[in-house]
Amino acid sequence: MKNKFLRICAALAALIVAALPLSAQFRPDTFAITNAKIVTVSGKTIEKGTIVVRNGLIESVGENDKVPADAKIIDGSGMTVYPGFFDTNTSLAIPASTPRPGGQQGAQAQSSNSNYPEGLQPEKRTFDELKANEQAFEAQRNTGITSALTVGNDGIFNGQSAVINLSGDSVSAMVVRSPFAQHITFTTLRGGQYPTSLMGTFSAMRQMFLDTLRHIELKKMYAANPRGMQRPPADASLEALIPVVTGAMPIVFNANTEREIIRSLDLAKEFKLNAMIAGGFEAWKVAERLKAQNVPVLLSLNFPERTTAEAKDADPETLETLRLRVEVPKNAARLKAAGVKFAFQSGGLKNLSKDFIGNIAKAVNAGLSKEDAVRAASLGAAEILGVNDRLGSVEEGKIANLFAVRGDIFDKDKQILHIFVDGNHFENKEKPKSEIKPGGTAPAGTFAQIGGSWNVAIDIPGSPITATYNFIQQGGTFTGTMQTQFGTTNITDGKVTANGFSFAATVEFAGQTFDVFVNGTKVGDRIEGTITSPQGPVTFTGTKNP
Amino acid sequence: MKKIILLAILLSCAIGVSAQQKGELLIKNATVMTASGGTLQNRDILVRNGKIVQIGRDLKASADAQIFDGTGKFVTPGIIDAHSHAMMDAVNEFSFAVTSMARIRDVLDPTDISIYRALAGGVTAANLLHGSANPIGGQNSVVKFKWGHPIEDFLIADAPPGIKFAMGENVKRSNSQIQPGQTRRYPATRMGTVEVIRDAFVRARDYKQAWDDYRAKKTKVPPRRDLELEPLVEVLEGKRLVHAHGYRSDEHLNLLLIAKDFGFKVATLQHGLEAYKIAPEIAKSGTGVSIFADYWGYKIEAYDAIPYNAAILWKNGVVVSINSDSAERIRRLNIDAAKMMKYGGVPEEEALKMITLNPAKQLGIDKRTGSIEVGKDADIVIWSAHPFSVYAHPEVTMIEGEVFFDRQKDVAMRDQLEKEREALEKAEANLPPEKRGKSEKPKENPSPNGGLQ
Amino acid sequence: MIKKILNNLCLSLFICGSLFISAFAQNGGTQQNLTGRDGAFAITNARIVTVSGDTIENGTIIIRNGKIEAVGANIRAGGGVETIDGKGLTVYPGMIDAATNMGLIEIGGGAAGTVDVAETGNMNSNAKAITGINPNTSHINVTRVNGTTTVLSLPVSGLVSGQSAIINLNGATQSEMAVVPVFGLIVNFPRVTTFEFAPGVGRRAIEYSQAVKQRDKNVEDLKKIFDEAALYAKTREAYAADKSLPHKDIDLKMEAMIPYLKGEKPVIFTADRERDIRGALKFADELKLKAIILGGAEAWKAADDLKKYNVPVIYTNMWSMPLGQDADYDSMYAGPGKMKAAGVKFAIASGDDGANARDLPYQAGMSAAYGLSKEDALKAVTIYPAEILGISDKMGSIETGKVANIVVTDGDLLDARTNIKYLFINGRLLPLTSRHTELYEAFKNRK
Repeated sequence: MKNKFLRICAALAALIVAALPLSAQFRPDTFAITNAKIVTVSGKTIEKGTIVVRNGLIESVGENDKVPADAKIIDGSGMTVYPGFFDTNTSLAIPASTPRPGGQQGAQAQSSNSNYPEGLQPEKRTFDELKANEQAFEAQRNTGITSALTVGNDGIFNGQSAVINLSGDSVSAMVVRSPFAQHITFTTLRGGQYPTSLMGTFSAMRQMFLDTLRHIELKKMYAANPRGMQRPPADASLEALIPVVTGAMPIVFNANTEREIIRSLDLAKEFKLNAMIAGGFEAWKVAERLKAQNVPVLLSLNFPERTTAEAKDADPETLETLRLRVEVPKNAARLKAAGVKFAFQSGGLKNLSKDFIGNIAKAVNAGLSKEDAVRAASLGAAEILGVNDRLGSVEEGKIANLFAVRGDIFDKDKQILHIFVDGNHFENKEKPKSEIKPGGTAPAGTFAQIGGSWNVAIDIPGSPITATYNFIQQGGTFTGTMQTQFGTTNITDGKVTANGFSFAATVEFAGQTFDVFVNGTKVGDRIEGTITSPQGPVTFTGTKNP
Repeated sequence: MKKIILLAILLSCAIGVSAQQKGELLIKNATVMTASGGTLQNRDILVRNGKIVQIGRDLKASADAQIFDGTGKFVTPGIIDAHSHAMMDAVNEFSFAVTSMARIRDVLDPTDISIYRALAGGVTAANLLHGSANPIGGQNSVVKFKWGHPIEDFLIADAPPGIKFAMGENVKRSNSQIQPGQTRRYPATRMGTVEVIRDAFVRARDYKQAWDDYRAKKTKVPPRRDLELEPLVEVLEGKRLVHAHGYRSDEHLNLLLIAKDFGFKVATLQHGLEAYKIAPEIAKSGTGVSIFADYWGYKIEAYDAIPYNAAILWKNGVVVSINSDSAERIRRLNIDAAKMMKYGGVPEEEALKMITLNPAKQLGIDKRTGSIEVGKDADIVIWSAHPFSVYAHPEVTMIEGEVFFDRQKDVAMRDQLEKEREALEKAEANLPPEKRGKSEKPKENPSPNGGLQ
Repeated sequence: MIKKILNNLCLSLFICGSLFISAFAQNGGTQQNLTGRDGAFAITNARIVTVSGDTIENGTIIIRNGKIEAVGANIRAGGGVETIDGKGLTVYPGMIDAATNMGLIEIGGGAAGTVDVAETGNMNSNAKAITGINPNTSHINVTRVNGTTTVLSLPVSGLVSGQSAIINLNGATQSEMAVVPVFGLIVNFPRVTTFEFAPGVGRRAIEYSQAVKQRDKNVEDLKKIFDEAALYAKTREAYAADKSLPHKDIDLKMEAMIPYLKGEKPVIFTADRERDIRGALKFADELKLKAIILGGAEAWKAADDLKKYNVPVIYTNMWSMPLGQDADYDSMYAGPGKMKAAGVKFAIASGDDGANARDLPYQAGMSAAYGLSKEDALKAVTIYPAEILGISDKMGSIETGKVANIVVTDGDLLDARTNIKYLFINGRLLPLTSRHTELYEAFKNRK
């Protein structure tokens, strides 16, 4: 009993300590990075210069700029400053939608102000769904990503996206531009509801575009003379598509294969849409058309890689698969050569900190110039997202989204030390060189990737229960929570090995607390292992929550 | 950089035969089964710019013409499959009883390997049909199998558009699983099926009227463009061909009656396994029939199918084609045609027509393909032996004078592909995860003006 | 074959729409199985393809009492013999289709009442095809009028599906039809299944190591069945020898296993992939079973093991799609040629449920368009299957004393244009009618 009391005290103390810095810390608003190499992207690179950040904006940038007296000084010697990078297709800051009972999404689910079913409702706005959580973007910021295009991924019409900055404690502080674009996923509706096939998906979209064009015409007629004419129905879905069919709002098609991209381009041509391609693994095969139709590509950096272990007698992978993996890193250089605009997106990368920059580096190895690569990640993206007047380069007056890296961004042992988002400063402690193992910043590569949320079945004899593990991995260690029907507890002492992990937790059960020790291995995309408690060991298995 | 792209393009069509002959091509001294003008011995065929320009003896071609020695070989028109679901990323739009808005054109996949395998069986063109889950299904695409080409090259531009209809068991969906909370889709009987089709055409007629009125300025507000009804208006106007799936003779007659009532013609009865029972009625209606040669008995409504179907229909003057409806069967339609000589004594040329000229007629593309005639597209197969012999195989299949299958080259390519595979498997991204990341070295930027320094 | 049934299901479910269940309609009221007439027959002036020996360009064959009484160039037909002028005709032994579900399934889709091919459960060693075969199925006549006179009919499903039967395609009862009523035990050798169908997801890959684990577990289960049967056999024998031991109850499933355990009868393992074929061969070797491989898509790749263990292959994949998108387009057509070249013993079978088993000659013929000799293509549906099925002393070739299963044609037996002119099974001259000819006659002259 005493033990438990102490533990609670300790836990409370830890909470309080953790909470204090947020509430009480003084957050400076003026900074000067001095003696740094500055890759402005928009202009010449400054070999040694100063950047002054004040109230969220870049106040000045130059070789001999004066340092304001009230600025917090960051010595940028040996560092390179880049404009913050964009992740141009994410669902960041959007809570995952809750699955409906029976999986019957769509069926009979019509919102009252639309004549179209859920899944075909372009009026959905990311802006209405955003939740602010500055801490949740730490991984992005530590990768140099300071802005993101974000939108949900349900339905055929995913809804209207927003460009957000990855800091701030409120939605209003995060949003840079909303709405930006309508987003499309070539999927079907469930529950037997039209469309149940890809054919139907195209026909349904086509019909809605036609309905919108008519809607515009009827509204015009009605506005000119409402007498003797039935008023056009007020339909939220059609209203939302008006800017899409007039070309005022871009439409982003999630399309990776050549034929998906061509289908998108065909549809764009048919309705004169202002199209973009997201994903675009095979975009290089369609480069000429992309260029001709002036369609930019939000290239996924989630390059396909073999995920299965070597096994004798296993079916050989198809040549198509093998070729694709080799060709995808060459994509960016080919698009550049063909004059197609592109930016980068994480595309659901599992190991963002290693692979976002790492895979841009692969594109560089495959022929893209470093200059073009950095531009695509910053100003190029800002141009595509229509925010290059305020973001994308290190220029006076622009929003202070930038980061300082020890070494070159493409160096294997680079360290991103300072990140500014909307002028908010985030800092990483520099590791001594010796701690960085050869082969990358990321000793992470040698650790099993267990970060994320896991659906776990615990096989307690006679009464199996389910749990959710939420792991936040930092290389060889991790924190997080273990959630069961008995409550949520924090994970302590989380350690990751090459193929497994372990952690300790305290579980409250039937009025008592138990210290449990969990030992797991990662098998493919599942985890399994044992939970040892004073009552003896039980086994568990888990699958990743998508 | 151009080089890289070129290389990549070459890589991407490694299985295909990439020879691009838009110039001249000469097949010499072959037995030519024309499918329209008998079988010609020791004949040459000269092809220029994709068309057959001359058939005769001792023809001369330009110096750079591609020459095929046809000595001891047989030449036929390319086979045309009037019922296929090859290269489709979707087959059925199950939701509604009428899904005429669905278009096969939207979901074509030019990389489907079954295209190449069909070419290797001598097939050059196909009618890609929506499935049969609906009384009125989606719109078809008529294509030539130009493997390795962009999708727009596959489409036969002047082929009249078509649409799939269906009757019988599949449409009733009487044995499909109903999910909890779902209701059975109407129609569940053959009675209902007929009414669905009638209702759709009544609506299409009204729709057409609404537009006619609007265009005549009788109404002020433009009608809503309705993608479901537009293709049905085209059917009423005779601009869109109806390909109607069905098995039982009575339901074929039902559809022919509806067509008569609404004033359109059914282009083909698809499957039509009992068509032989109503051959005189079909002949009178001018409708074609596209059937399996002898596939039968796999469900109740296929139990009265007989392999003599084609013979009876042919004797009644019906245009008959033999189709595959299968990625497997499409590879051996020549044998299916051969069977028609045995089952009911269809003459050789008539049997050949059933997989060439007749399907071309049914699809409205017989002006350009389906037989070996001067002026037609050079859609040609060179066979190792008589195409109706089980011992024959296609050696070369060409479309518009371009070779898309060449057995010799296919065999020769196999080693090369194996080598490519070996090389690819050594690439970093293709290594198993446990072996990855060990040889990775940061490489310097190959482009001289690249980099930021 | 399961595969064919699945194909049919796929066709009707996914391409066309749905199935239709009904219990009606079996024979549609027509008399399907006319058993012909007995007698003494002489076919004269015919070309006789004996298969076992040289082809006789102009010879005579005499059929009496169900047997081939004589065959040769200079045979004289004696009195009381009905003479058939075989001028311009060719005489062949009837074809043997070593893999069908003949008589066990009339209509695959929508008529469950006519389907008797798949018993429930994993272990059905006692199920015997001969007891499920419908002698009046329309498939029998439809098949035999194309020249197939004998088939192996086998059950599918589970791990141990049951025991197959070798039947002639004539007879009013099972026993009249039976050549070997209980022939081989059908074992669906566990496969490495690298994909699964998950609800709401569709087809998805299974990690190979995971798939191997599952396969190993299934093989363990299969091994357990054989081990248990061996133990059962032992206790039964012990009891037979010493009645003072406690009585051991008879278990029909275990009892059925005994001849197979002892290697007296063959175990027919379905296996298509190289790894599965090798696995089945190893399994059979360990348990000293007499094995036959059924399916054999990649058998030529496992030729070394097949020869080492002297195991034949019943190849049912002539008209299957190549395995995977990178496979050679002709890989399935070329299988028999490759097996022949590698010295593997094989037969070509239709693998069909019965309705379309009549295509056997064309399947065999196509193997000769892709590497096999024409002679071997013919042997692959006559003497080779006879040897594999252990009936080559009775069938598979035209030799004096063999059963008179004879086909007389106007051309090459394997050619799709060839007509059958006369058909004998067990020496009975059969009418060349079937459900199909009857419907043809009924409708061909309708005006």
